[in-house]
Amino acid sequence: MRALVIDDSRAMRRIVSSALEGFGYETRQAGHGREALDVLQEGYAPDLCTIDWNMPVMDGLQFVSAVRANPAWRALTLMMVTSESEQGQIVRALAAGAHEYVIKPFTADALRDKLALLGMLPEEAVL
Amino acid sequence: MTLAPDVAGRLAIPSLIDEATVEAIAGEAWIALVGEDEVLVPLPGDLPEDTLSAWVDVVGPWTGSVVLTTGRQTAAELTRALLAEAAPELLDHEDVADAFGEIANVVGGNVKAALPGPSTLGLPEVGPAPAVRNPEDVCRIEVLWRGQPLVVSVQGALPSLPVPHDQHQHPHQNGASQ
Amino acid sequence: MTLTTTSFDWVRQLVHRESAIVLAPGKEYLVEARLLPIARSMGLPDVGQLVDSVRTRPSPESTRRIVEALTTNETSWFRDGDPFTALTSTVLPSLLSGRGPAERLQIWSAACSSGQEPYTIAMLLEDAMPNASTRVAITATDLSREMVERTRAGRFSQLEVNRGLPAAMLVRHFTRAGTEWQVSPSLRRMVTASECNLAAPLPRMGPFDVVYLRNVLIYFDLPTKQAILRRVRALMRPDGWLFLGAAETTLGVDDSWERVVIGRSSAYRPLKGN
Repeated sequence: MRALVIDDSRAMRRIVSSALEGFGYETRQAGHGREALDVLQEGYAPDLCTIDWNMPVMDGLQFVSAVRANPAWRALTLMMVTSESEQGQIVRALAAGAHEYVIKPFTADALRDKLALLGMLPEEAVL
Repeated sequence: MTLAPDVAGRLAIPSLIDEATVEAIAGEAWIALVGEDEVLVPLPGDLPEDTLSAWVDVVGPWTGSVVLTTGRQTAAELTRALLAEAAPELLDHEDVADAFGEIANVVGGNVKAALPGPSTLGLPEVGPAPAVRNPEDVCRIEVLWRGQPLVVSVQGALPSLPVPHDQHQHPHQNGASQ
Repeated sequence: MTLTTTSFDWVRQLVHRESAIVLAPGKEYLVEARLLPIARSMGLPDVGQLVDSVRTRPSPESTRRIVEALTTNETSWFRDGDPFTALTSTVLPSLLSGRGPAERLQIWSAACSSGQEPYTIAMLLEDAMPNASTRVAITATDLSREMVERTRAGRFSQLEVNRGLPAAMLVRHFTRAGTEWQVSPSLRRMVTASECNLAAPLPRMGPFDVVYLRNVLIYFDLPTKQAILRRVRALMRPDGWLFLGAAETTLGVDDSWERVVIGRSSAYRPLKGN
């Protein structure tokens, strides 16, 4: 399985990517929503996007809306991974089309649990 | 603790969040991101001369910044701990600014969620700490990480309202190291 | 530091035996941090004395607490979610068709820890049936008073709600309370929590339609496992359903149960005539 890790922090991109790689994902990274859309438009077809909320150029919520507006990307699973944790914001992200929401700080176990809920753990997919 | 708003109807941070909450938020961030046995010990320490601050701004019913300040050396050590095996052999300033800024973002996002909302969160900034505008509008904790001092300061952005004493006497007053 | 090398080695061996997890040397700090709350809850001043106490007077419950504290960060909500899927897909429809509309379904979460299991059940039921709060009563028990109080409070930290709780359920059934999340009043009304020692004669409860007894039996010897299963069965309806942990079974322990496969999970039902 493939994942696109979208976060403006290089450190956070590395942390999320290395956790996902530990679960068996191949990963690519983008520093904001616009860059992530470019990666998708180039033809990279991930199964999963992990998406920070606050980023320069295009934030995570705008990215989610843009992906949901394009039927070609319907199969893409969108998971917010952000320190934004007001209840109203979680509701907004889900309403915009995000499938799951992980609040920073998180552990690798928390990411794994959420992926298990989504049926997105590669090792389980093999079974 | 007073819940009385000031003359302009603003609530100061001590009536919205307490030290124990800020400490719990920072403690959870450390355990989850830095490592499961990386505890923050609630003891004060003397910050070294050479410090680095990372902060995020919160704009909403309460407006201000959540500022983390520690020694530059400790910020680098924190970066290594955060990145673990993904850490480059040589850290440059950008690595440290990015990692320390992200920790400020995580702590700031959770402080924001514990305050009355809705509010917006700014992108992390790194540099010398923003000055304290109103000493009444600060919630500040001092902790030790691996024996090194670290300060978390939740400080209002708005200057205090005009009072008989001039509030601008201390241009170098610094939110995290005062 | 109160932990001697001997005590640390004893803890390492215990955890390895019970969970196959290896605690590397140098993790003394972690053992201290995780076990201190258990020591305190037992009225002991430090972890060294906790270890001494459990070594001289072995108790499966204390052993379970120690192993759990060292092997799990936070209890996950829907990880190993198959027994919950089975509840809504199979067990609930079957029970509802066999019970009158005025009959209240009784569900028992028999080692509820900090409350994730009973509230998971309550959320699923509230989402599955409009009148769940009047049709279902959930009894949550644990040996530890602290865990019972946590279950009653229904407040969970950010790290706890991050563990396998679907975001849609979080925003539907919880509200933020400072840095924590509070379970909704309607779910709390469905759950009654009390202290209960499974290894001793049980209080009058039930009869239960469904029992969740997960990851408890593994800590007991065979005669105690048999005694617990016998006591649990006495509190169950004849057509009830028992869920055990993924690594647990009644097979070879107590032959008065019938194993039923539901999806990827198994339930156990009392055999008639026993």
